[in-house]
Amino acid sequence: MKNKNINNLELSTILGHTDEHINEKSYVFQSSSFKLIFSFINLYAFIIIALFFLVKGNLIEGINWDFLDQGYLSVLNTRSILVSILVISLNISIYFNYGFKYVCLVLLVFMINGAIDNATLFSNNMHLIDRPYFAIFNVTRPLFIIALFWVFIIHKDKKKSPKKV
Amino acid sequence: MYQSSELSKFFWVSMSIAYAFCFSALYTYTTIPEHTLELNNTDQIIITMKLAIVRLVIVAIALLTYPVILFKFFEYAKYFTVALTAWAITIYIDDNFVLLGIIQYPESALISLVQLVHPILIASLLWMSIELIFLTTAKD
Repeated sequence: MKNKNINNLELSTILGHTDEHINEKSYVFQSSSFKLIFSFINLYAFIIIALFFLVKGNLIEGINWDFLDQGYLSVLNTRSILVSILVISLNISIYFNYGFKYVCLVLLVFMINGAIDNATLFSNNMHLIDRPYFAIFNVTRPLFIIALFWVFIIHKDKKKSPKKV
Repeated sequence: MYQSSELSKFFWVSMSIAYAFCFSALYTYTTIPEHTLELNNTDQIIITMKLAIVRLVIVAIALLTYPVILFKFFEYAKYFTVALTAWAITIYIDDNFVLLGIIQYPESALISLVQLVHPILIASLLWMSIELIFLTTAKD
């Protein structure tokens, strides 16, 4: 016959589970705004990387290859690979809830540095009307940087234990 | 609550190395002889010097801000150090792999020396970041 006075904690103790085992199931609830912005970051990174590969594969018309041959393509190539690695690391860190803020910070610094480099080195060649595909990288970059900064601030890394019944 | 006084002597040595590197870089780029630039006045060198000046302004701001954050806002020092480490690594990757054919530094022994010892700055900053992260994680 079941004794109704025994609660979950007592049952866990009888079965040999300690508080430590219960705490292993602790979880982190991120806010809905965090999830929304994080989805935007992933979508943005995916679109930008896809756009780069479309340009590289010569699948889009109206590309000025003289400009690309000046070295901008190799810059885009390396940066796209690094961004994809960092975005994958960001997703892994959020899945395991470990080191998210640090990976986010590294990606943020990488993007700001890229913006500074582009503004300094390619500012004369970045005209929105002449080169829309490349200008779109620079025009929309602040959105990505703001989104990264936002998730860095609102991310909760402290685990909450589930309510004991 | 943790404080900057709990940091090891390796941290302070690393910080001294990082500061020494930054000051030597500031000195090197601000005292380039004009004839060096005039002799090799190519577009590549001009944009490289433009980029170097932008970076040096950020370095100067970081040099002034870091002690304030370390002594007054110690809980945020780890994030600031990680950001600086990431930036130092990014600059190294940019200069040696990404912008290899685009930028060109003027021919100067001091500039070559600064470029050569850049990995030492990265190692120092990595040590500082790791120590700050593990110190605060252990306390939490």
